[in-house]
Amino acid sequence: MSDALLEVEDLRVAFAVGGREIRAVDGIGYTVEPGRTLAIIGESGSGKTVGCRAIMGLLPTGTAISGSARLRGTEMIGLSDSELRKHRGQDMAMVFQDPARSLNPTMRVGVQVTEAIQTHRKVSKKEAYDQAVELLRLVRIPVPDRRFHEYPHQLSGGMRQRIMIAMALACRPKLLIADEATTALDVTTQAQIMELMLELQQELDMGLILISHDLGLAASYADDVVVMYAGKIVEQAPAKTLFGTGGTVKMRYTRALLDAIPHLERPAHTQLPVVSGRPPDPANLPPGCSFAPRCPSAADDCRQTMPALVEHAAGHRWACWHPCENGVHA
Amino acid sequence: MAAQLPNVQLATPAPPPLPSLVNARRLRNQRLSRALRLWVPAGILIFILALCFLWPLVYKLPSPTNGNILYNNEPPFSPGHLLGTNVQGVDEFSDIVYGGQVSFEISVAVTLIGIAIGCTLGVTAGYLGGWLDAVISRIFDILIAFPALVLALVISVGLGPSEPHLILALSVFGIPTLGRVSRAITLSLRSLPFMTAARLAGTSRWRVIVRHILPNIMPVIVTFSLLGIGIIIILEGALDFLGYGIQAPEASWGNMIAAGQQIMTAQPEFIIIPSIALLITVVSLNMLGDALRERWGVV
Amino acid sequence: MSAEATGKEPLLSVRDLVQEFTVRHSGGTGLGRVPSTPGVKAGVVQAVSGVSFDIMPGETLGIVGETGSGKSTLARSLLQAPPPKSGSVSFRGTDLTTLRGRKLLEARRHMQFVWQDPFGSLDPKWRVRSIVDEPLLAYHEGDRSARHKRVDELLDLVGLDPERYAKRHPRELSGGQAQRVAIARAVALNPSLLICDEAVSSLDVLIQAQVLNLFERLRHELGLSYLFIAHDLALVKQVSDRVAVMYLGRFCEVGPGESVYRKPLHPYTSALLDSIPSTEPGASRATATIKGEPPSPINPPSGCRFRTRCPRATELCAEQVPMPRELAPGHLVACHFPLSEPAPVASATASAPATQSTKVVSS
Repeated sequence: MSDALLEVEDLRVAFAVGGREIRAVDGIGYTVEPGRTLAIIGESGSGKTVGCRAIMGLLPTGTAISGSARLRGTEMIGLSDSELRKHRGQDMAMVFQDPARSLNPTMRVGVQVTEAIQTHRKVSKKEAYDQAVELLRLVRIPVPDRRFHEYPHQLSGGMRQRIMIAMALACRPKLLIADEATTALDVTTQAQIMELMLELQQELDMGLILISHDLGLAASYADDVVVMYAGKIVEQAPAKTLFGTGGTVKMRYTRALLDAIPHLERPAHTQLPVVSGRPPDPANLPPGCSFAPRCPSAADDCRQTMPALVEHAAGHRWACWHPCENGVHA
Repeated sequence: MAAQLPNVQLATPAPPPLPSLVNARRLRNQRLSRALRLWVPAGILIFILALCFLWPLVYKLPSPTNGNILYNNEPPFSPGHLLGTNVQGVDEFSDIVYGGQVSFEISVAVTLIGIAIGCTLGVTAGYLGGWLDAVISRIFDILIAFPALVLALVISVGLGPSEPHLILALSVFGIPTLGRVSRAITLSLRSLPFMTAARLAGTSRWRVIVRHILPNIMPVIVTFSLLGIGIIIILEGALDFLGYGIQAPEASWGNMIAAGQQIMTAQPEFIIIPSIALLITVVSLNMLGDALRERWGVV
Repeated sequence: MSAEATGKEPLLSVRDLVQEFTVRHSGGTGLGRVPSTPGVKAGVVQAVSGVSFDIMPGETLGIVGETGSGKSTLARSLLQAPPPKSGSVSFRGTDLTTLRGRKLLEARRHMQFVWQDPFGSLDPKWRVRSIVDEPLLAYHEGDRSARHKRVDELLDLVGLDPERYAKRHPRELSGGQAQRVAIARAVALNPSLLICDEAVSSLDVLIQAQVLNLFERLRHELGLSYLFIAHDLALVKQVSDRVAVMYLGRFCEVGPGESVYRKPLHPYTSALLDSIPSTEPGASRATATIKGEPPSPINPPSGCRFRTRCPRATELCAEQVPMPRELAPGHLVACHFPLSEPAPVASATASAPATQSTKVVSS
C-alpha cells in the first residue's frame, strides 16, 4: 500500500453531445504524493480539466465515468454527491480560473470564506470569523480584518484569487487542484500566487495539481508533469527530466508545444516550427495516434495503431512510435 | 535512427465500454418534442388565420351584424349554423370569424407600427447615443409609464371608438415596448468589436445600422412581436369588453364575451366560445414565440 | 520617446497622447460601506497619460503591459474610437485627431486592426465572403467579380481554402480560422499598419504559432508595419523589432527587443522578466520580485507610478515624474534610478518593501 495521496488509474469519462458519444478522457493514470506538485498540461479539448472534475465529482449528471481515483485509499469514483461533499473541502479542494466569476459579487468576501468554513465544520459565527481572518492572513492578504468586509469588485484579480485559495483551504485539504488558476492573471501576479501556493503546500504538506496549457508553468513550478492530448496522456515524466539541463522531450506533441511557445531567447522574427491543423474532434478520433494527422514525423504505423503509454526510460513514459531523438531544442 | 522499441505489446487494448450515454430513443423524442413545440402552435395559428380570412372568401357566411330574428337562439350544430345563433339571430360562427379578423387586423397593425416606429427610434437611440438617446428614452419612459389600458381607453373615448382609433391607441403601448428592446440590443451590439470593425472597414453609419444591427436584432424582435401580438389581442379584447372598443353590432371577441357574460348562466356557450377562441390564439402565439426563441438562441 | 532621426518619415507618430474615461461605481450592490478607494468617489480614469512614440515603415513595435496598463485603450485611441482627450496621432503625415467623418475614414484607411476575440470581431450573421468583402465594398474597390477574385486571393493568403470557407458563418469556424478571416479582412485594403490587440491571446498554443507565422509572412509579402500589443513579454519580443513596456498609462522603457531583454533598465521590466516561467533548460524558477497589488488607475501614485511597488523608490520618485532618457542606442527609460546605475541609498517610501538587493544587470 503506497502512501500516495491520489492514485488515478484508467480513468475514462464520456459525454453524449448531440447524439454522439465523446470520450473526453480515455484511460489516464497518475499519482500525486503529499508535498509534491503535478502539472497536467494540455490545450483545450485535451481532457485535462474534465479528468480532475471527475475526481471531484463536479461533472454534470449524465456523464459516464469509469476507472479509479483513490484519495488516501478511498475510492472517489462512483460516490454519491452527499458522500463526495464530505470529501470536498476536507480532503480535496479546487481553485478555478476566473475569480471574477467564481466569487459571488453580492456577498462580502469574508462571508464567502466563513461560508466555506461552516459548510464543513460546526463552529460558531465568532469562531468562523476568526478562522476566516486567519485564512486571509495565511494567503498573505494585508489587513485581513478590514478586507473581510469588502466585496469582490473592490479587489484586484490577484486578491480575488487569494480569496479563492483561502476558501479552498478553509478545511485544510490534503489535495489542492488549481484549474488554470493563474491563466487569467498578469504574469507578475501569477508569480506571486504560484509562490503563495508553493509556500502553503510546504506549510500544510499538501499535494498540488496544476492544470494549465502553459508548459512554462510546469517547468518552473512542478515536480512531475503529465501532458495530455485528445483525452490521453502522451508523455509523463518528472519536470527535471523534461526541462532540466540535458532534458529530453520524447513525444512529438510535447516537442511541438515547446517549440511553439515564444521564448525570450529566440531572436525576433524567427519562423516558428509550426504544426498544421487543429485538435481532433473528440467524437471523431482518427485510428492510430491522435496526433498523427498533425505530426510532421508521422509514419504509417502512427496512423494505423495507437501507441501505448509505456515507461521507456526510468520514470519517463511516452506514447509515440517515433519519438524525438534529442530532446533539447535547437 | 529511431530507437528500437522493446518487443512489448504496445498497442492499447480496446477500452471497456462505458455505460451507453447515447440513448437514441431519448434523442429522437427530444427532437420530436422540439419540432412539435414549433409546428403545432404554428399550425393552429395558420388554421385560425385561414379560417378568419380565407374561409369567408370561399364560403358565404351569414352576416355577423344582421341576424334573422326568425332564427334566433338556435343551439349549436343546427343546420346552417355550426355554432348556433344568438338572441338576435346572428350566426355565432360568423361572429367568431369576423371578430377574429378584427383582432388580428388590429394587433398585427399595432405590432407593425411598433416595429416601424419603435425599432427605428430604439436603434437610432442606441446607436447614436448622446442627447438623441436621452430624448428618445425619456419619450419611451413617459409612454410606458401610463397603464396601457387606461391610456388606450382615454384615446379611444376622446377620438371615438373605431378600428383605426383603436390601432392608434394601442400603438402608444406597442411603440415604446419594442423601442426599448431594440435600444437595449443595439447597445449590447455596439460594444462588440465587429461594429468598430465595420466602421474601420469604411462602412457608413447608415449601412452599419441596416446591414449589421438589423439582422442581429431581428430574431429578438420577431419573437417579442409574436408575444406582443397576443398581448395586444387581449388588450383590444379588454377594450371591447369594457365597451370602448369595437361597438356592437360589429363583431369582436371582446364584446362577444361582454354580451355572453350577461347570459352566462342561461346560455354559457356564448361566453365560452369566444373565450376559447381567444385562449387558443394567445396561447399558440406564446408557444410559437417561445419555440422560435429556443430555436434562435434568443435570451 | 521617438526613434532616432534616420531621415525616413515615421509611418505613425504619436505625441503626448492622453485618454480618459469616466467610471461609474461599477459592480457590487452599492450597499457596501467601504468605498473601493478611500476618499475617492467613482471618477475619471486616465488610462493613457502622455504616451509618445514613432513607428517607422516596415517596423514592428511591440507594447507589453499588464492589466490596467492602458495598452488596449491606447490602441483604440490611435483609431480615434473614441478620439483621445489630447495629443496627436500622425499617420502618414496627417494628424488623425483633427479629422472627422469621411475625411477620417479616408486618412485611416491604411491603418487596420485585429482584435483579441476572433468571434466578437465578426458579425455572426454574415458569411465569410461578405465579411472579407466589406472593406472592398465600402471603398469601391472594383466591381463585383473583381472583388470576388480579391476575396478568394485574400482567403488563400491567410491559408483558408475559399472553396471550403467562403460560404461559412463564423460559428462554423474554429478560433484560429475566425482570426484568419479577421486578418484577411484587415489586409484587404493593403494597409500600411496593422494594430494587433492581443490578437493571439485567446488561441491555443499551436494555433497561436500558426497565426504568428502568418503575421510574419504577411510582413514579408505585404511590407506591413505592426503595432503588436500583448501582456506576454516573450511573445511581444519575438514578433517585434522594438519593445515598449507600459505601466499604468505610461511607457517605462522602450528599446530594441534584445536590448530590453538582456539589459532591462527599468525595475518594472526587470520584475516582468523575473516572473516569466521559462522552459529553458537550466532556467531558474520564476520569482515575484515586486510585491503588492497594482494601484487603482483611478488614483494613481504621484510622480513615478511604479514607485509603490519598486524596491528602488525614494522620495524623489514620489515628487517628480521621471522623463524618458536615452541610456543606450535607441533604448529609452523613464526612471530616476534605472538599473544601469547603483541603487539609491535611501528607499524611504512607506509602501516600498524593504529589500536590499539590487537587480544587477547581467551581461
